[in-house]
Amino acid sequence: MEMTNDWTVGMMKRLRVMMRLMRVMRKKDEASPEALEELQDFLSKLDSTDDKKRKSNDVSDTQSASKKRRLMQERTEAGDEGEFGVSVRGSTALKLDDLLAPLASSSALTTLKKSIKVLTSTSTKTKTLSAPLPQRAQERLDREAAYEQTKEEVDKWSATMKRIKQAEHLSFPLQAQSEGRVSNLELAAKFKPSNELESAVDNLLKSAQLRDQDIAGTEALKMAHLSVEEVAARRAELRMMRELAFRADKKAKRIAKIKSKAYRRIRKKQRERLGGEEGDADMDVEDAETRLKAEVERARERATLRHKTTGKWAKAMQGREELDVDQRQAIGEMLERGEKLRRRIQGEMSGDESEENESDDEEQDVETIKQGAFEELAMLNASDVLSADIKSKSVFNMKFMRDAAERQTREADAAADDFLKEMGGVEQESDDDACGDRPVTEGPSVQRVGGRVIYHPGTIPYTKPVDSHASETSSVTLQSADLVQDSPKNLNFISSPIISSPTQESNPWLVTSSSSGPSRKRSEVLVQKGSDALAKSTNKLKKRIAKGGEEKERIQDDAVLEIDADNVLTVLEPASAPAVINTKHELKGKRKEKPKNDSVAVRISPADADDSDVHSEVDEQERTLERKRQRGKGKGVTAFKQRELVSLAFAGDNVVQAFEDLKQSEIEADAPREVDTTLPGWGSWGGTGTKKFPPRPNLIKKIAGVEPSSRADYKKAHVIISEKRDKKAAKYLVKELPYPYTSHAQYARSMDIPVGAEWNTRVGFQRGTLPRVVKKMGTVIEPLVKAS
Amino acid sequence: MVKISVLQHAPSVHLPARPGDPTPTTRNLDPLMHPFARARERNRALNAAKMDKLFAKPFVGALEGHIDAVEVLCKKPGSLSAVASGSWDGGVILHNVSERKHIRRIQGAHKGKVSGLCFAQDDRLLSCGVDSKIKLWDASPQDDITEQRPLNEYPGKSAFNSIDHHRSDPLFATASNIVQIWDETKSAAISNLTFPTSTETITSVRFNLSETSVLGSIGSDRTFTLYDIRTGKAERRIVMQMSSNALAWSPTFPTNVLLASEDHNLYTFDVRQLKTPTHIYKGHVAAVMSCDWSPTGLEFVSGGWDRTVRIWKEGQGTRPEVYHTKRMQRVSSSIFTADARFVLTGSDDGNVRIWKAKASEKLGIITARERAAIEYRDTLKDKWKHDNEVGRIQRNRHLPKPVYQAAKLKRTMLDTRAVKEERRRKHTCAGESKPNAERKKMVITEQT
Repeated sequence: MEMTNDWTVGMMKRLRVMMRLMRVMRKKDEASPEALEELQDFLSKLDSTDDKKRKSNDVSDTQSASKKRRLMQERTEAGDEGEFGVSVRGSTALKLDDLLAPLASSSALTTLKKSIKVLTSTSTKTKTLSAPLPQRAQERLDREAAYEQTKEEVDKWSATMKRIKQAEHLSFPLQAQSEGRVSNLELAAKFKPSNELESAVDNLLKSAQLRDQDIAGTEALKMAHLSVEEVAARRAELRMMRELAFRADKKAKRIAKIKSKAYRRIRKKQRERLGGEEGDADMDVEDAETRLKAEVERARERATLRHKTTGKWAKAMQGREELDVDQRQAIGEMLERGEKLRRRIQGEMSGDESEENESDDEEQDVETIKQGAFEELAMLNASDVLSADIKSKSVFNMKFMRDAAERQTREADAAADDFLKEMGGVEQESDDDACGDRPVTEGPSVQRVGGRVIYHPGTIPYTKPVDSHASETSSVTLQSADLVQDSPKNLNFISSPIISSPTQESNPWLVTSSSSGPSRKRSEVLVQKGSDALAKSTNKLKKRIAKGGEEKERIQDDAVLEIDADNVLTVLEPASAPAVINTKHELKGKRKEKPKNDSVAVRISPADADDSDVHSEVDEQERTLERKRQRGKGKGVTAFKQRELVSLAFAGDNVVQAFEDLKQSEIEADAPREVDTTLPGWGSWGGTGTKKFPPRPNLIKKIAGVEPSSRADYKKAHVIISEKRDKKAAKYLVKELPYPYTSHAQYARSMDIPVGAEWNTRVGFQRGTLPRVVKKMGTVIEPLVKAS
Repeated sequence: MVKISVLQHAPSVHLPARPGDPTPTTRNLDPLMHPFARARERNRALNAAKMDKLFAKPFVGALEGHIDAVEVLCKKPGSLSAVASGSWDGGVILHNVSERKHIRRIQGAHKGKVSGLCFAQDDRLLSCGVDSKIKLWDASPQDDITEQRPLNEYPGKSAFNSIDHHRSDPLFATASNIVQIWDETKSAAISNLTFPTSTETITSVRFNLSETSVLGSIGSDRTFTLYDIRTGKAERRIVMQMSSNALAWSPTFPTNVLLASEDHNLYTFDVRQLKTPTHIYKGHVAAVMSCDWSPTGLEFVSGGWDRTVRIWKEGQGTRPEVYHTKRMQRVSSSIFTADARFVLTGSDDGNVRIWKAKASEKLGIITARERAAIEYRDTLKDKWKHDNEVGRIQRNRHLPKPVYQAAKLKRTMLDTRAVKEERRRKHTCAGESKPNAERKKMVITEQT
């Protein structure tokens, strides 16, 4: 107790000294020379007290306490009232507020005041605290709250647990989920200046409004009200800038290209001369291939409609006042596409046209190749001169930029000159002549326009270069559409494979009908009972009849052939409607004792026919063949011949009857029956006069079999479904659907695919057999650790 | 010159690109070319299932040394081989499982049985016994393996039943008739967490492994109680039909706790929802005496009064793997090793046995080809488990006759009970309401 007392006193003292020091310092800040002196004064006093204190440590506690009291009395400047001393003799009594006044601005004090307000309030209605709950009730409440807390804490694991539970593969020891790579954008978004340099740079950027969001903001502001044309104009401007910046580079590249191309061609010529001629055929194949590829590409491009401004969307965009970022991007894309396409149609696909003229290289010799190269160079130069006077008001007009550009141009020019010299020094002036006589070529000329080869007899027609103005991109498609018409024949054949011909024939082997008109009508009525497909075909039939070409009918009659008047296999082909037949009326006349299911119909549903491309293709081929045949010979003759042929071929055939007999025998064989197993002569007397007893019931064996009415093929005339149990197949069957599967098909599919290495690729096998849980041998698997 | 065309054999097609690569095989993957794929795979699956049974040799070895029944086993966290076992004779042995040697052997560590063991940090071992003492031992390998003196001793007031160490802090919890938290550096318990109305013995206490401040305890008053040392309270308690003998927290699913019950079943609970167990695991034919999770958290082992050890898959409540030997008596403790490949059991016959966690697993080095074959076989077994024959072989367990008979008897009894219940429902008004789910019957009350 005494020790603590001493300690508190000492602390108080020290605190007071500190306060004093602070006040002096504050005073010093106001910059008065005498304040310094005061400080020194004070410090000296401080030293002395410190010494005293050190000394007093040795003496007894009570003594030190008394000493301290004395010291304090000494230090108080009693009497003179000032800034730092408050006298008791003042007019007003000292209050707590007076002492706290200097701290009025600090937030700590205000909070303190707030908290003690309740204590200091003088109102008489101070409430007494309510009596605490009984301990057990209180504890229960506490426990409940604590449980909620723990539950909350534990619940933080739920995501992890879920992930582990649902993981397809677990490799123990578990690794923490990788965070993935952080992109630059992400980093930039998260970036906060941490050190001085960074914050300085950030401030600079901020003041210059060059931070990303600022830039984006201004851009958005500027771009918001632009129309499509304006966007195009801006793009053009930007492109011009780029062009100016990299012109010399481009030129050098182009020269190099011309050079290498010329070299290559010459070399090829030489090789050809040496190697003789071979492999013309595969060239052709390749050509065809490339053409096909180009076609496909073009079709795709047209399908997207992204290249023109006449589309619905593009128009809508033109109407819009302000565009958001996505829309602007989309417009940009559209323009780009249009540009690309236009260039292709013009045939100036920059850079990639190296193969363009390969095909007509063959008739050129080395000289012409050289000529061509020179000529190209000359053109390059000419264009250079032409565009040189385009002035820009930007940085490119500055002296140093111009100098640099000039230097680069000079280098490029030098390269070109070198090439010229090397190739045999043809002067540039002569290039004009070469240019003049180039188009004169003999024979059929070949022209390539944007992935399309056009063959013209005679000279190449003049292709007008399309203007590069953006608004004209719409014309691009028109032109290309025109071009399509040049070679429509083969395309047309591919694109519309279904050619309806009135002279369709259904397979005569499977079709039967009476050849008379009324019978067909009757069949209509009957057919309407059937499915939709039937109804449809009937409608078609009606129309046909309504149109009623005499010849058509005759052909149909011919196409329809009798095999067996009674038993009929009918094919209902949706595509070829006339072949819809039913023979009910005949049945009525002839065999009434038989039920109606004697016409065996194999129907091909229209959907089915449409689905299978193969099927339609085969049909197509058949039809074309048929057409050819018909063109060749008289139709009547063909039909007659066919009829005869078929009836000849199936003269003694009675397929349907045979099928029915077979089914009947099958049904009988499976039917439940009783077998008498009595052995004759056993258990009974023989000889004359003996009574014949009925077979004993215990010797009659009942074989359960299958009731005809409970058969799977009951009332299904056209199929026989065996009721025999296949023991070997039964091995692979399960009684009920196993647990995780929800449908039979699902299970069947999962069992269908073998997992073995024989039936899978190596990787497929590995993936398929990868176990769900992999443990690394000899590795300690630690429990999950909570990330702090 | 006559042109001769020759057949070319490009070596790149039929030779491995680099040494060590598999030889490229060219196979026709067209399913139509393999009409018997299904049949072959089924046959392979059947063979795989048979091989699984054929090579099922789960027993690896026994660690001897105790004179009396082994009561408790514990593994050292972060170590594959160090395992301590405590016995009814009061002895504690520290085994090196991989070498099957004793690291330390402390005869008479406690008077009476050693009821609890756990490793503290820095290679030290804590043991508690029915002599109401907790002792701290040095567990580092030494020349004299029979060194007897404990590093520290903590006196208690009543017999201790269980002890468990906090995963990271120098704290441990003990269970006697109360649950206490101790600091390693202090001689007395620092707090008492017992549920206020609890008067019975607490049989076991365990710290959660991931949510390290959470504890669970079971008592002879058929309760499971949840504590948190942050809030310093027993937070919730459930009373079950029968008391539990052991509990274990899942290492990968921190909310899950497994209870080995006296009613032959094991239960997993989610501590967020203690009203019903999440799963019931039925298989033992006598009380389950011990249980422990595999470090993967996807399997667990249980040892029972029926002299069998069973290995269960998490979430699959029936048909566990059953291990037994002729001489193994009641299994009082069972643990998984830290690599999840082995199981250790201590039984009444005084042996600690080492078992493979997967009975037919091959020990030793496995080549890549072998591994691929094993994985293929496993996949096939799993795929064809619904097949009659394959499934039958897989499901079949060979049991010792007493266990088999007990199981049969139990089944009969349960069936009878079910029939009776059915009839009761049929002929009384009890049938008007839906029958209670089995899971909902297990917890009698949840006390806050």
